[in-house]
Amino acid sequence: MKIIWEKLEKNQYYTAIFKNPFTYVTGAILLSVLQIALLASSGNPWGVSGAFANWGAWIFEAVGGSVDKWFYFSSEGAQNTLKGGFLNDTGSIQNAGIIIGALAATLLASQFKLKKIKSVKQVIAAVLGGLLMGYGARLAFGCNIGALFSGIASLSLSGWVFALALLVGAFIGSKLLAKFFM
Amino acid sequence: MKEYTIDCLGEACPVPLMKTEKKINSIEVGDVLIVQIDHSCAMKNVPEWARTQGYNVEIDEVADGEWEVVIEKTK
Repeated sequence: MKIIWEKLEKNQYYTAIFKNPFTYVTGAILLSVLQIALLASSGNPWGVSGAFANWGAWIFEAVGGSVDKWFYFSSEGAQNTLKGGFLNDTGSIQNAGIIIGALAATLLASQFKLKKIKSVKQVIAAVLGGLLMGYGARLAFGCNIGALFSGIASLSLSGWVFALALLVGAFIGSKLLAKFFM
Repeated sequence: MKEYTIDCLGEACPVPLMKTEKKINSIEVGDVLIVQIDHSCAMKNVPEWARTQGYNVEIDEVADGEWEVVIEKTK
């Protein structure tokens, strides 16, 4: 086993595909081609954060809550998606694919590592940041994938408006980061 | 020549890069800065930044998912 591994580690195709990070250009081309394939096969542009709202609703329902009266889930389409369940929601399957794919990629590169939490500050920032991003993404009806990437790819003006807001947010975010984490 | 180490284990981008930029300004020409990272995107942006500054850079994979970026402040 050790010999196979040592051989594999030196194999140029293994290192190029699994070990070394792709260049930004390679990543951009792959993203573009795959999002076209996704749009063609599923009929919907790629999105990520929308499905997470459904996951939240399912978890809330599993512990006895109800989202029937919530404005966000009030449309017939949203109700049908919730009733259809995880396996019938293409967005949920895509997100599961991202998580499993990311795990597979890091395992294949032999770079899997459980990272230690450095400080309470880091936990607060992560939770706060996650909540703000999730809430903001639902207000904007999309995250940097659904609203920005798919928006611009669909030649929609809203994608560019989102990009401007994103730049402002990133600027403020980096100032806060420098203030609290440096 | 002195050697400095900054521990960026457990820190996500862009914190390792920001810490590197800050630290490298405070060391002398000829000194070496070792940045310990375990976030794969820092393995890309820290060396890339250092190379654009004209410094010598080496990356060591010290363990699974853990790297040391060795930067020599050449100027």
